[in-house]
Amino acid sequence: MSNQKKRNFQIDAFKHRVVVDPKYADKTWKILEHAIHEIYNHNASGLSFEELYRNAYNMVLHKFGEKLYNGLVATMTSHLKEISKSTEAAQGDSFLEELNRKWNDHNKALQMIRDILMYMDRTYIPSVHKTPVHELGLNLWRDTIIHSSKIQARLQNTLLELVQRERTGEVIDRGLMRNIVKMLMDLGSSVYQEDFEKPFLEVSAEFYSCESQKFIECCDCGDYLKKAEKRLNEEIERVTHYLDSKSEVKITNVVEKEMIANHMLRLVHMENSGLVNMLLDDKFEDMGRMYNLFRRVPDGLSTIREVMTSHLRETGKQLVTDPERLKDPVEFVQCLLDEKDKYDSIISNAFNNDKAFQNALNSSFEYFINLNARSPEFISLFVDDKLRKGLKGVSEEDVEIILDKVMMLFRYLQEKDVFEKYYKQHLAKRLLSGKTVSDDAERSLIVKLKTECGYQFTSKLEGMFTDMKTSHDTMQGFYASHLELGDGPTLVVQVLTTGSWPTQPGVTCNLPAEMSVLCEKFRSYYLGTHTGRRLSWQTNMGTADIKATFGKGQKHELNVSTYQMCVLMLFNNDDRLGYKEIEQATEIPTADLKRCLQSMACVKGKNVLRKEPMSKDIGEEDTFFVNDKFTSKFYKVKIGTVVAQKESEPEKQETRQRVEEDRKPQIEAAIVRIMKSRRVLDHNNIIAEVTKQLQSRFLANPTEIKKRIESLIERDFLERDSVDRKLYRYLA
Amino acid sequence: MRKEDSVKLISAEGFEFVIHKEAAMVSQIISNMLTSPGSFAETEHREVTFPEISTTILEKICQYFYWSLQYANGKETEFPIEPELTLELIMAANYLDT
Repeated sequence: MSNQKKRNFQIDAFKHRVVVDPKYADKTWKILEHAIHEIYNHNASGLSFEELYRNAYNMVLHKFGEKLYNGLVATMTSHLKEISKSTEAAQGDSFLEELNRKWNDHNKALQMIRDILMYMDRTYIPSVHKTPVHELGLNLWRDTIIHSSKIQARLQNTLLELVQRERTGEVIDRGLMRNIVKMLMDLGSSVYQEDFEKPFLEVSAEFYSCESQKFIECCDCGDYLKKAEKRLNEEIERVTHYLDSKSEVKITNVVEKEMIANHMLRLVHMENSGLVNMLLDDKFEDMGRMYNLFRRVPDGLSTIREVMTSHLRETGKQLVTDPERLKDPVEFVQCLLDEKDKYDSIISNAFNNDKAFQNALNSSFEYFINLNARSPEFISLFVDDKLRKGLKGVSEEDVEIILDKVMMLFRYLQEKDVFEKYYKQHLAKRLLSGKTVSDDAERSLIVKLKTECGYQFTSKLEGMFTDMKTSHDTMQGFYASHLELGDGPTLVVQVLTTGSWPTQPGVTCNLPAEMSVLCEKFRSYYLGTHTGRRLSWQTNMGTADIKATFGKGQKHELNVSTYQMCVLMLFNNDDRLGYKEIEQATEIPTADLKRCLQSMACVKGKNVLRKEPMSKDIGEEDTFFVNDKFTSKFYKVKIGTVVAQKESEPEKQETRQRVEEDRKPQIEAAIVRIMKSRRVLDHNNIIAEVTKQLQSRFLANPTEIKKRIESLIERDFLERDSVDRKLYRYLA
Repeated sequence: MRKEDSVKLISAEGFEFVIHKEAAMVSQIISNMLTSPGSFAETEHREVTFPEISTTILEKICQYFYWSLQYANGKETEFPIEPELTLELIMAANYLDT
């Protein structure tokens, strides 16, 4: 109130219009009842809202609320009963339409009735806790019509039949379906669930159980999955068109269970079309479908993963143990890379780049690559091949790609130190023979190895590069100070730091006189500039370019190894030489000499020598002479030694032994490091920690670790605990 | 004021108030009368007779409708009510659900 001023005023006593007429309530109700009838009969236009509202208002005001309410219930019920009857009478398909129309009518009428009885809704109903008009109307509709004995079952059957018909491809009136379903929802979610959803799910389960049985008998895996996917999408579409959105999860669960989960194993292992065949044939689409469908059910993806893993392990195992494959290391590694590429693309195209799948892929590769003890050697050979010739004319980015792939395989290796051994050997050969295609590629790979395994791993490899560089400078210095040497043969020396390079026992051969003089000059020059060093010649690793003139004057430049050079120089003085003579003159080790003679006398196109008797192999009694008839299309002729690319069995054993030998100090160092920080530790823990520390280089053998511990105890680095024999103590 | 935007409210004494439909809609009941899905007489003719509301009160009510619209726009003023009218006004408000 705005007016707060003190002012005397009078309020007239409120004059209730006294109800004189005892039949007032009945009369008023008659008016309202009539109005309700008229509303139901679509005849409301003559009615005055205000009058009806006023009547209802007055009835409530005069404490006739209960009469009004009961009257409403009775009138509405009787109307609904009539509707019920007329709906029941509807024939066949018109049943739903009739029901829908009546429902719309009822809704409209209900709203009008609620409007005119609003005062009752507002005051009377809350005070006596009765059901509000709108809700009352819905409840009466539910009880009188939907749950009437004749309609309830019919409605349910009709709806389910329509769904069934749509599933078999017929077109149904979706709008009508939506309206009816919406009606059920309006009546309360429990009505929808009990009267439709539950039976719908049951019928669907039965339907899909039958259908999936039928499909699985006659379809292959790919087709089956297509069908299942289609059904699933249909159901989702159905929900969006005319069902409650909450039903989506339920119905898709039914389809997933009946069509996928129940047949999962059978599908995956289906003969000729299961997952294994898809993997073999790169069926990305089918696999993608399988992934998406199986993802929906519990254990679906793990099932796919298991099958993929076991298949991958099986084929990988075959690949790495296939003796045919082992003949060509480059081919072998290429196969591994191809296999990896194949699965990478499967996972990215079909399996959504799933991390779990990638892990499965990695662990499978790790498993089978290490099944073959020669994998490290082969990978290094592959790199060697690529860096010698494979990368010629390939763009920088492609080189990076290839190197990255190699690194990926390298990561799978457990015996990384074995790889290092081989890599060092191969790198040394490449560097010394100047066969490297690209220095950048070499360095890039070293950097990759360094990031992968740390400084320690590559320090020696880097040392090799440094040696090459300093040697180059040294040679320049040498020739600058010996200008008189310009005319004679040219000597190029690479000074290799002992330890960085895989050196072989220093067997030297007798160099031709021209060369030994030069070598001596270099020695004195080098030792003059670097005091306190020792130079020893590794004649087995060098190469030479020599000019030769053959019988009819044909001139060629021959690119040969140092050994070959020594042999050829002998023929400057003699025409014929026996094997024994050559051996005596050069002092080249037997195996190397044989190999070198073989490459010069027995290889077609490179046979600068001839021998008697003619045969494939070199015998101790053979005689050699210059092949006067030697011809070649090229001026420069490269005579390769018959090198065993792959290591022979004894060489392999030797390398293996060297690797084992190298591991010993590493294991010992690891043990000491661990014990230094822990002071006291039991046996099992030491083994575990050592294995962990060395994992990045190799897989340490527990018995070897044990031996190392014993050796350390002998040398007083550790002692056993006097009480608990399993405990070791660190002795500072 | 266009015809279709207005409504006519008639008091007990037969006095006619033509006001904006928007203002009349402040009353829940008048709003229902004008928008009911069934076609009641009021909906069709856009006029409502109140045989139990006197002209004075109905006038006050119309004033209130407009004041309320303003108020709804965020303009806060006081709505003056003469004490003599208070009771009847309360009754009418109850009736009109305003």
